[in-house]
Amino acid sequence: MTSITSKTSELPFANLLKACMAPAAEGPYTLVLIRHGESEWNVENKFTGWYDCPLSPKGVEEVIQAGKLLKEEGIKPDVAYTSLLQRAIKTLNHVQEETGTMWIPVTRAWQLNERHYGGLTGLDKVKTVEKHGEEQVLIWRRSYDIPPPPATADSPYHPANDPKYANLNFPEEFTETLKTTLDRVLPYYESKIVPDLKDGKVVVIAAHGNSLRALVKHLDGIDEETIPNLNIPTGVPLIYQLDGNMNVIPSEQAIAPLRGHYLGDQDEVRARIEGVANQTKK
Amino acid sequence: MKSYLKACLFLSLSTLTLATRPWGMTALNVRGGGSGIQEKEVKDEKVKGPCTLILIRHGESEWNVSNKFTGWYDCPLSEKGISEVKQAGLLLNEAGIKPDIAHTSYLQRAIKTLQLVQEETGTMWIPTSKAWQLNERHYGGLTGMDKVETVEKHGAEQVLIWRRSYDIPPPPVLADSPFHPKNDPRYAHLEFPEEFTETLATTLDRVLPYFLNNIVPDLKRGKTVIVAAHGNSLRALVKHLDGVDEDTIVNLNIPTGIPLVYHLDENMNVIPSDNGIAPLRGEYLGNQEEVRARIEGVQNQTKK
Repeated sequence: MTSITSKTSELPFANLLKACMAPAAEGPYTLVLIRHGESEWNVENKFTGWYDCPLSPKGVEEVIQAGKLLKEEGIKPDVAYTSLLQRAIKTLNHVQEETGTMWIPVTRAWQLNERHYGGLTGLDKVKTVEKHGEEQVLIWRRSYDIPPPPATADSPYHPANDPKYANLNFPEEFTETLKTTLDRVLPYYESKIVPDLKDGKVVVIAAHGNSLRALVKHLDGIDEETIPNLNIPTGVPLIYQLDGNMNVIPSEQAIAPLRGHYLGDQDEVRARIEGVANQTKK
Repeated sequence: MKSYLKACLFLSLSTLTLATRPWGMTALNVRGGGSGIQEKEVKDEKVKGPCTLILIRHGESEWNVSNKFTGWYDCPLSEKGISEVKQAGLLLNEAGIKPDIAHTSYLQRAIKTLQLVQEETGTMWIPTSKAWQLNERHYGGLTGMDKVETVEKHGAEQVLIWRRSYDIPPPPVLADSPFHPKNDPRYAHLEFPEEFTETLATTLDRVLPYFLNNIVPDLKRGKTVIVAAHGNSLRALVKHLDGVDEDTIVNLNIPTGIPLVYHLDENMNVIPSDNGIAPLRGEYLGNQEEVRARIEGVQNQTKK
């Protein structure tokens, strides 16, 4: 007989019960957001969306550094969430390795995926501007709710053709906007992640530009005009402290409109925030 | 939730009515509703044919290099260990084996082994469970001690008994030791005796129920399952799978970083492989001469 016993029994519907009961811990709660490091298609300047490209070597370095920053800050996650896309998963793997938290429970969720770019997936950003005009491309990239052209059912980029999503049904023609991304991110955050925070667990979410835009829009009450243009730099930990009511406690080092703060050299962070804006310029 | 999904469907259908127009002209003004993604109903899948179970012992670790008793101590892979397991991933690719579900322990040398295999096989997204029940056997009070020095202190015979007996425990670790699991936050949800140690027998007592309750159901649904674990937790598994007796299992060496592949029928019985190296009926992937040499190699850690 093993002499090891469990302290608590695994109740069915544990999460549901937790959601209904009073929070186990009073707060403040810590939420760490991190956008995956530079990917190979970032390097090639292609619309990526749900395409599952890996991190570039520079991206790997970025996220190792991110892990070190968290370690220096004394932040040790208790649970982790990420998407089904390897650039976010690998980001999380490195963060966990640097912070000595490789053993913590990790949940991978399609709801945290990047916004799907529909029929633009795989296209070069500069060429797409040449073809459709800068204004149109800007709308597709930075509108809150105007969808890019859809991916058609026979496209290799349509999720119905990807075994990762075998448990989901998609429309024949598929595309997403920041708005529809938020529509899938927020319910997931509320039902899965908030209960962990209320349990007093430090949560890290390794995700993507638009899935994180959705989250910070909600956390910081950012309006629809501002959020599409908000740049979240890759591989820089963004830390939120939340009170017992899940409201953000504004940080003194926050860079507006966010109220959380980025770790690391603040001048470099500001420069990196500017940098993401320049991908359609030659 | 259902009304929300219905609303998404309604909105996306109404958007599609505009889809007949060229996107270039009207895209500027077309506004989208929900993405229209819905979860499928889960059907009960029953396995008909053979299913596949892949076992892999983590690559060489830093304490393997230092020749210390490791157990639950959480040391990382060595550089060589990292190369080993990347190679393991390539072997799985060549064999056309793609895991659907993964299980590993709480120890980083196994977790990293699994991560590297998943990276090579393009399966980083698959559901992955970490379980303390798949940990290496805990070495009690021997944890952290050098194997050769321990032989000098206690004699080769005693050390051999502690290492290779089925159920004779090494001296326990005490409650105030940094190597006692109660002092490690990852085991905060478990109760341990004040003095703690394990044998292969007690390791099997925690591995097998986990295998039967958490891994077998996935196999029965026809899933390809990979388990990245440790020398003794894998001994426990193959003892069960191949009906290996207690005297034999303790001396069975499972080389690090080499995928060991089992095919099981719908009753969870092993379908013996033509390439099985007795007493195992699963097959190791890769060059068989090298595999045999590596199986011999693990025995020599207490020799100078």
